[in-house]
Amino acid sequence: MISLRGVSLVYPNGVRALDNVSLEIAKGDFVFLVGHSGTGKSSLLRLLYREANATTGEITVDGIRVDRLRRNRIPALRRHLGVVFQDFKLLTDKTVWENVAFAMQVTGAHTRDVMRQVPRVLDLVGLAHKSRMYPSELSGGEQQRTAIARALVNNPKILLCDEPTGNLDPANTTEITALLQRINLKGTTVVVATHNQAVVDRMRRRVVRLDDGRITTDEERGYYYLGLGQDQILSG
Amino acid sequence: MKNGATTILDSGKIRFFLGEVLRNFSRNTGMQITAIGTVAITIVLLGLFLFVRAALADVGARLLDQIEISAYLRTDVTPTQTAAIGRYLAMDPRVASAHFVPKREGLAELRSQTRGAIDTALLTENPLPDKFRIKVRVPEEVGAVAATVTRLSGVDKVVYGQKIVQRLLQLGSVLRRVGIGVIVVFFVVAGVIISNTIRLTVFARRREIAIMQLVGATNTYIRLPFICEGLLAGVLGALLAVGILAIARVELWPRLLEALPWISLGASPVDARLLALELLAVGAAIGAIASWLSVGRHLRT
Repeated sequence: MISLRGVSLVYPNGVRALDNVSLEIAKGDFVFLVGHSGTGKSSLLRLLYREANATTGEITVDGIRVDRLRRNRIPALRRHLGVVFQDFKLLTDKTVWENVAFAMQVTGAHTRDVMRQVPRVLDLVGLAHKSRMYPSELSGGEQQRTAIARALVNNPKILLCDEPTGNLDPANTTEITALLQRINLKGTTVVVATHNQAVVDRMRRRVVRLDDGRITTDEERGYYYLGLGQDQILSG
Repeated sequence: MKNGATTILDSGKIRFFLGEVLRNFSRNTGMQITAIGTVAITIVLLGLFLFVRAALADVGARLLDQIEISAYLRTDVTPTQTAAIGRYLAMDPRVASAHFVPKREGLAELRSQTRGAIDTALLTENPLPDKFRIKVRVPEEVGAVAATVTRLSGVDKVVYGQKIVQRLLQLGSVLRRVGIGVIVVFFVVAGVIISNTIRLTVFARRREIAIMQLVGATNTYIRLPFICEGLLAGVLGALLAVGILAIARVELWPRLLEALPWISLGASPVDARLLALELLAVGAAIGAIASWLSVGRHLRT
């Protein structure tokens, strides 16, 4: 589903964000990208939705050669992807319903499809009863669930999350993590960049560790720290 | 692909789109009013210019039509020379008509024109020479025809309204140059103001735009509301201008005609409805073009 081969990313200011990264993510996978701030987690995600482009290397997402994509084809790529951020990026003057519908409306979706699809995703994220509320009337977790609903409304095969729980308290973090897991169980490939140790350790899914722009480890059923769960660190 | 039906419009889509345009439009009310006002001033000036030009051309054409050349013949002219002049004038393609006025008729004309102010009975002999009264086809050629006629043998003096002809032709060209200059300046000003308005709207909507780009809205779709916003400003400005011009025409034009009876103005030198449509089209074009040019620049990410 996602494939990176020998990918490097050097920003115009000379900073080398990624250095010869190779990574394969299968359909239906759930992957954590972990590492300190500035190790290239966000940069890697940005390459996948072509907010940035690789300096060298090949990137394939759902059969599309993203690194070679022409500018006018980028919208088509992004309709296959859902992206969620730490700061939600909701429109404050639109309701929950309008925020979610917006993602369909601006891509020219049929009103009939909007009317069918929006209730479905709001139901999935458990916000059907708050669809008329504005973001300012919601908790952080509810705002992030709105953002996830918006990311899912166009039925993407892949959901990319950049620090989705970064602004949330532990209770809301648990709620969002459970939601991401449910979405993954429905067959969506999920990639989460995070430095929330609790989330990673509780889930025990694939963990790709980045350090200074390179992949240092890649383990199935991994922990946030190499080979160690939270309890072991505390007791050790 | 579930977005295959992008080209099919439905009422929900149209309502959403128009809603977005109106939200854009109401976001910077002050700036929009400035933009509309500038377009209105530009269009009023353009309308006045077109109208005055048409009126002036109308008056000019009438005045020039009335201008004729009087070619006075020498007193010792022979009938052969007179006939030769008549034949020449009949052949010259620039000449519309040429009438021979013998001095007897000339005196009668003078008598009727002065209406007895000069007692012609006092004259013991007719002091007037014979003359040809010549009309030309194209007003601009009056001077050239006059010069040719002066050189014909038997012609003594050629008289025509040199000054009037030259002034009219000059006034026309000066007015055209000044008018076009002023209008170009206003077009540029209107364009810059619309462009600035668009930039403010782009800035105010940068979150929406970022999200649209994120979820895969096409560039055309993102730009369209801004183009429509510019178009709306242009059309509203033009409507305002047409309204002002219409009031001016109804209220001021009859008074102007009354005040200047000696200018033989036509009741309506231009087709008002056609002019109004043209001005609306120009307003729409200023708005659309200015926003098209600016939105691309301001949307670069």
